[in-house]
Amino acid sequence: MTPEAGQMIEHIRQLIRKPDIAIEENTPLVSSGLIDSMALVDLLLKLEDLTHMRIPAGKVQPKDLDSVAKMFATAQRVGRPRK
Amino acid sequence: MIAFHNLIEALESAPDSRPFVTFWIDEDEQETVTFGEFRRRARAQAGMLQGEGIAGGDRVVIIMPQGIPAMTAFAGAMMLGAVPAFLAYPNFKVDAEKYRSGLAGVTANLKAKAILMDEEFPEDMLGYVSLGAGTRLLRAAENEIAPHQLARCTIQATDLAFIQHSAGTTGLQKGVALTHGAVLRQLEHLTTALKIDAAADRIYSWLPLYHDMGLIACFVLPMACHVPVVMQSPLDWVMHPETMLQAISQHRCSLLWLPNFAFQFVPRRTPADRREPYDLSSLRSLINCSEPVRASSMGEFQKALGIRSEVLQTSYAMAENVFAVTQSEWNAPPAQIWADGQQFRSAHRIAAVEEGTRGAVSFTSSGRLLPGHQLRIVSDSGEPGDGCVGEILIKSDCLFDGYYNRPDLTEQVMVNGWYRTGDLGFVLNGELFVVGRKKDLLILGGENIYPQDIEELVGSHPAVHDGRAIALGIYNAELGTEEIVVVAEVEDQALLDDAARIEQEIRSRIVAGMGVAARTILLKSPKWIVKSTAGKPARSATREKLLREHPELNREEVRQ
Repeated sequence: MTPEAGQMIEHIRQLIRKPDIAIEENTPLVSSGLIDSMALVDLLLKLEDLTHMRIPAGKVQPKDLDSVAKMFATAQRVGRPRK
Repeated sequence: MIAFHNLIEALESAPDSRPFVTFWIDEDEQETVTFGEFRRRARAQAGMLQGEGIAGGDRVVIIMPQGIPAMTAFAGAMMLGAVPAFLAYPNFKVDAEKYRSGLAGVTANLKAKAILMDEEFPEDMLGYVSLGAGTRLLRAAENEIAPHQLARCTIQATDLAFIQHSAGTTGLQKGVALTHGAVLRQLEHLTTALKIDAAADRIYSWLPLYHDMGLIACFVLPMACHVPVVMQSPLDWVMHPETMLQAISQHRCSLLWLPNFAFQFVPRRTPADRREPYDLSSLRSLINCSEPVRASSMGEFQKALGIRSEVLQTSYAMAENVFAVTQSEWNAPPAQIWADGQQFRSAHRIAAVEEGTRGAVSFTSSGRLLPGHQLRIVSDSGEPGDGCVGEILIKSDCLFDGYYNRPDLTEQVMVNGWYRTGDLGFVLNGELFVVGRKKDLLILGGENIYPQDIEELVGSHPAVHDGRAIALGIYNAELGTEEIVVVAEVEDQALLDDAARIEQEIRSRIVAGMGVAARTILLKSPKWIVKSTAGKPARSATREKLLREHPELNREEVRQ
């Protein structure tokens, strides 16, 4: 796991206020109900910070953010380097 | 405007080389099309639709991301005399289940001949698009299309131009059918009131195209009146609201419309040390529209971003009237008045008092009626006259023909040619003041309480997230009256640990500000309140969620 993925997992634990919950890179987040779709704005902003990319929000669907691994894959797919 | 018979004629007369739409992704990535290029792309879309058998009168539903291709598809459908309607594109913020059920309901009602989507429309949503017999699912071509020979078609002013949906939670949206003539008359009135100069003005918008403010003010008006527009995606804006300031500054935009919440959202999300580089001196009209207007919100924007007070304006608008009904005076801040709070709540009467008087309530004017418009204020006891609150009824030369395919709903809101808006307001010195929605009014022991007043007090607490509070009246059969229940989202989850203290402080603010007590105050984590498709807190859906999670609040059973 990359340090960025680790930081994202920590961020999610804080967000859902469950500091001890086990979250792996492939743990389903949205489809499992662990986070709701409204929390995804925060996650997308965090993802932009961690990847130094600008992610066009219109090109992202909930399924693209369903796990930490998918989030970073989405950033690679649609993100553009930020100045 | 009156000189044209239809919107396409108005588009065709635009100067070829004038810039029309600049779609803003960021400071480095933007695409601008001229009116000439826009027409060329719209004709290509029209040719594609014609090839698929679309003709005059056919409904064409467009479900595409905000952008130039969606706009050219809309204009292309109109070129054939077809009737386009934008529906919201699915996005990561919208609950998939709710989106699907809304989509199924709305597409079924329109009985569309074609549903136009982009290549990336998510497969898992496709099954929920209601494809009746004879409905074609088409993918809009984004790439170069050979010029088509379009069949000649005559579009009359009385023909339907398009269908726009009223704001509301998805699935409850009503399709408002509008003729070319009605839309052109609205544009004539609005451009006159705003003194629009196509050669000098430039509009900025992040507003979604599937709502009237984004569709009429920021796409149809610029298209028919030949005004350049700088547009971005609502999603990009909500992620980075500061980009609005960048875009206005870079393109020297002069006009924009915003809902009330954005007047707080933008400055609060743009730290003071980052505001300096933005030059908003090109702005001449910043119009607060689509939610009850709050002077405090407008003041916050003005102070934080250093714009002139006369730039701030207000308007009262609705999809059923194409768009605007009133507009405040150009180049002057809207009138603000103070009234005795007790008289207002108990007698629904406006008794003017000095600013700062204890217990006074303040209202901001939405301006005067546009030409061709009439208004009545009606209460249970008739028409109470100036300075008394009642339901706003309107009649105009641009009023809608009815909700598409829903004569039952149309009948409920039309009375002898007057449209019952469901909004409460009063007229003073010829200006309209809107105070809230009739169905949202709380009645406590005979006093009329407007939830927005409580919500503003609750929202002023630093622990509460901007604009994320809802006050509801829940009937208590034992007491025989409604009681106030407030639900508010905290700014940060961790604040819930201190809920008891915050609740008490909020309670004190409500008593001090309104002289009434809230029965229950519930603090919730961020994002708990249900939002409408326009991104505003959705009162009735939030009420349902609250009663589902807190059945103990429901004391309505013995209401009979």
